[in-house]
Amino acid sequence: MPAPGRKLLPWLFPVFLLAAAVWALSIGTLPPADLTFCNATEVKSIDPHRINGQPEGRIVGALFEGLLQRHPETLKPIPGVAERWEISTDHKTYTFHLRSNALWSDGTPITAEDFHYSFRRFLLPATGGEYSTLFFVVKNSEKYTKRILAVGDPVEVELRKPADALDSIRGELLLGKLLKIEGEAPQEEEGATSDDQRVFVVEIDGKQRRFTSSKNVGGAELCETVLLDFREVGVKVVGPRAIQITLTNPTPYFLDIISYYPLAPVQRACVEKYGYPNWTKPENIVSNGAYRLQFRHIRDRIRLVKSDTYWNRDVVKLNTVDALAAENLTTMLNLYLTGKADWITDVPPGAKGELRKTRPNEYDPQPQQSIYFYRVNVTRKPLNDVRVRRALSMALDRREIVEAGPRAGEVPALSVVPPGIAGYETGLASPENVAEAQSLLAEAGYPGGRGFPTIEILYNTHEMHRSIAELIQSQWKKRLGINVGLSNQEWGVFNSSTRKLEYDISRTGWIGDYPDPNTFLDLFVSTNENNQTGFSDPKYDAMMEASGREIDPAKRLKLLHDAEAYLMQQLPIIPMFYYVSKDMVRPYVHGIYQNVRDEHPLWAMSIDQEEKARFFKAEGLK
Amino acid sequence: MIGFLVNRLLWTAATMWVVFTITFFLMRSVPGGPFDGERKLDPEIKRNIETRYGTNDPLPVQYFRELGKVCRGDLGPSYKLADYTVNEIIAQGFPVSASLGTLALCFAIGLGLPVGILAATRRGKLPDYGSMTIATIGMALPEFFVAPLAIILFVFVWPLFPAAGWGSWQQLILPSVCLGLPYAAYIARLTRTGMLDVLSQDYIRTAHAKGLAPRDVVLRHALKGAMLPVVSFLGPATAGILTGSLIEEAIFAIPGLGIHFVQSAQQRDYTLAMGLVLLYFLLLSLMNLVVDVLYKLLDPRVKLDS
Repeated sequence: MPAPGRKLLPWLFPVFLLAAAVWALSIGTLPPADLTFCNATEVKSIDPHRINGQPEGRIVGALFEGLLQRHPETLKPIPGVAERWEISTDHKTYTFHLRSNALWSDGTPITAEDFHYSFRRFLLPATGGEYSTLFFVVKNSEKYTKRILAVGDPVEVELRKPADALDSIRGELLLGKLLKIEGEAPQEEEGATSDDQRVFVVEIDGKQRRFTSSKNVGGAELCETVLLDFREVGVKVVGPRAIQITLTNPTPYFLDIISYYPLAPVQRACVEKYGYPNWTKPENIVSNGAYRLQFRHIRDRIRLVKSDTYWNRDVVKLNTVDALAAENLTTMLNLYLTGKADWITDVPPGAKGELRKTRPNEYDPQPQQSIYFYRVNVTRKPLNDVRVRRALSMALDRREIVEAGPRAGEVPALSVVPPGIAGYETGLASPENVAEAQSLLAEAGYPGGRGFPTIEILYNTHEMHRSIAELIQSQWKKRLGINVGLSNQEWGVFNSSTRKLEYDISRTGWIGDYPDPNTFLDLFVSTNENNQTGFSDPKYDAMMEASGREIDPAKRLKLLHDAEAYLMQQLPIIPMFYYVSKDMVRPYVHGIYQNVRDEHPLWAMSIDQEEKARFFKAEGLK
Repeated sequence: MIGFLVNRLLWTAATMWVVFTITFFLMRSVPGGPFDGERKLDPEIKRNIETRYGTNDPLPVQYFRELGKVCRGDLGPSYKLADYTVNEIIAQGFPVSASLGTLALCFAIGLGLPVGILAATRRGKLPDYGSMTIATIGMALPEFFVAPLAIILFVFVWPLFPAAGWGSWQQLILPSVCLGLPYAAYIARLTRTGMLDVLSQDYIRTAHAKGLAPRDVVLRHALKGAMLPVVSFLGPATAGILTGSLIEEAIFAIPGLGIHFVQSAQQRDYTLAMGLVLLYFLLLSLMNLVVDVLYKLLDPRVKLDS
C-alpha cells in the first residue's frame, strides 16, 4: 500500500521554488541613496567608545560629532560642538565653549554635562573602551581606567547593583579616602583571570569600611568596583556650556586627539534607558552628528539620513548615504564599474596598475600616515647584534620591493614616521649600500654570510605579504649570502606569536592615530604594549620622555627627530614602505579630498547630478 | 513512525551536546582570542573587555554558563559584531542564505534530473556523452571560477544582470545559478546511474512487456527508484547549501551566513562560531531525518525502525 504522502511529492518542488523566490524578494529593494560607498566590512559597533577601526570611524564620524572635528582637506582641528576654546599658558589646560545651537537628534541641547558623562563612560573600565589609551594624556585618566590606586587616594566605591540591571546603569557611588590595600593586583599574563582579590579599606563619612569586587574573598563588603574618584581626573564642567580638560603634560597634539571619533559624546538618557547594545539600534539611538541612522542590515548596508537637528545642517548636501559592507575587493570594483557605488575604499591589488593608468582621475594613490615594516626580535641571536640589523636593512632594494609587492605607487621608507607632518624632519636609517652591509655582517662575525643561522620571516597569510617576503628572502640571500625561511600563520595565531616574541622577523603595518610623530615613535618605548620587538633602550626611553615634557613645539619636534634618528640606528624594526591611499572615487563626487589619513567626512561631500548623468551616459550605465 | 521520530530527535539532542562540547574546547585551544588584534590592548583594558564578556573565567565555569544559555536558546552576544547577538545575526542572515540555497537547489534539481534521465535513456549516444562530459566539467570547476566568469559574461560583456546585491529578482538569478550548477551536475550523474540501475530490473521489463509507452515506464515506474541516490545526496547537501556559501556570498555581496562561518572562526568569535556550528548540525540532522522519511515514501520496501 502506498504511503499517503506519495502523491504530493511531485508538487513539493514548485511549492519550494515559489516560497524561496517570495522569501528572497520579500527583503525588497530600496531606492538608491544619494551617495553609495563601500565600507569594506561590517562595522564592529557604532558605539563611539567601543571601536578603533577605520570603517567604524567613517560611520561614527557621520553619526556623532565631538568638541572639535577635522578639516576634510587639511585635517586641522576645526570647531565642532565647541565653537571656541582657550589654552592655558602652560599648555596643560584646555577650556572648550559649546555652541548654543548644538542639539541631539531628539531635539534636546548638548551640554557640558553630556561631554563629562561621555568622557567618564569612555574611561570607565566596565565600558571596555579599546581606544581609551588615547585619552591617557588627560590627568589621572590612566589611573582611573586601569584602577591604579595608592593609599591616600580619594576613591569612588560602586556598590553592587541588581543582577538584572542594564549594563549602562552604575551602582550607587560612595566617595571616600583609601586607607589601605590588602592583597595584590592581578598579574599580567596570557590567560590570567580577572579576579581582582584586593580588599580596599576606605574611610567613608568618618567610618572605615572594607570592600572587594571578588566573590571569592570573605570579610569585606562586595562591590562592583573601586576606582579613583573621578573628580581627580582632568575633566571638569565649568559652566553649562563650558568644559575644562587638564593634561598631565603639555601635549601639542591634544586637539588632534579631541577631534578624533572615539571622543564623541553619547546621550546619557538614551544610553541609560536602553543599555548597550540596544541603544545603538536605529529605533533607539540618539546622536548628534550630520547624519542619523536609518537602518542597519548586517553584512549588507548601513543607511544614513541627513539630520535635521544638526547645527551645521546647511552645509550638508547629501540627504541619504549608504555604506555597503561588501568585503570582496573585486565585488567592490564591480559595483563601482556598474555605477552602483560612487566611492570604494579599496581596490583589488591586481587591478591597481591598470586603474592607475586608465582612470587616473578616479584612482590616484597618495602617501599616507601609515607604514609597512618588519619587526626584528632583538632578544634572539644573531638579531640582537645591531650590526646585523643594519646589514639587513642596508642590503634591501626597497624600490624593487614596492614595485613587485603592493604595486600602487607606495613610497620606499627609511624612517618609521611617514613624511608629511608639518614642521617635522624625519630621522632616517642608512640608505641601501650593499658593500657596507656586507662589511657590517663580516664585522659581526659572518663574513659572506658564513655561520649565519637560518632566520625566519613570519607573516600573516596573505598574497602580498608572501610576495614581499619572498623578494626580501632572495635579496638577502643574493647580497648577504644568508639563508632566510618563510613562515605564514593565520591572523589570530600570527598576532599571538608576534606578541609572545615567538619569531625572528615579523611583518607589521601601523596607521598613525593622530598627525604627530609621537603616534609612531611611542611604539618603541620599552613599556609600550605594541613594541613587541624586545627592544628596551633606556636612552631611547629618556629621549621620548624628554619630548613629552617639552612645551616649545619646534624644540619638541627636534627632540622627536633625534629620537627617531637614534631609533633608525638601532633598528628594532626595518621600515619597508609607506602605504598610499586606496580610495577610488567618481569624479562627480565633490568635497572628498586626498589627505594623509584617508579620512573623508560625509558632511563635506556632494554630488553634481548633471555631471553624474553625463558620466553615466558616457559609460553606458543606468 | 512516531517512535522512530522521537528516537531520532533524542539522538540529535545528545549529539548536539557532544558537538557543543568539542567545539567549545577546540576553539579555545587555538592560539589567539577574540580580543587579540594587530594592536595589542593594554592588559588592564583587555581585562576590562574580557570581564564584560566573561571570557576570563575558568573554562569549566564558562562551559556550563554557555551550555545553560544555549539550552535556553540564547546564543549570546557576538564578540566581533558587538552591537548584535548571535540570535540576531542568524535571524537576519539565515533567511537570505536559505532562500538563495533553495533557489539554487530548485535550479539544480530542475536541470539535473531531466538531464540525468535523458542521458540514461539515450545511453551510449550523443546526449549521454555530451551531457555527462558537461556535468563532469561542471562538478570540477570551482565556484570562484564560475562566478567571476558569469559576472564577466552577464554583467559586463552582455549587461543583463546587476553585479551584486540581494533583494530584486534580477539579483537572484546569477548567484542561484552559479551556486546550483555543481549540484545540478552531481544530480544529473546520480540520476543517470540510478536510472540505469532501475531500467535493467525485472519490473521494468514487465512494464515494457505490458505494452506501456516508454515515456510512462520511465516517468511512472523507473523514476521513483532512480531518485533514491539523489535523495540521499540531497539531504546533507541541503543542510550545506541552506547555511550559505562563502564564495557566492562574498562575490555577489549577499548578506547571508556563509561569510560568518569562516570569519567567526578566523576572528575567534566564539559565540558566533558556536551558534553557526550548532545551526549547521541541527539542519544536517533534520535533513537526514527527512531523507529517511522520503525513502519510505519513495520505496515501500524500506522500513523505518526505531
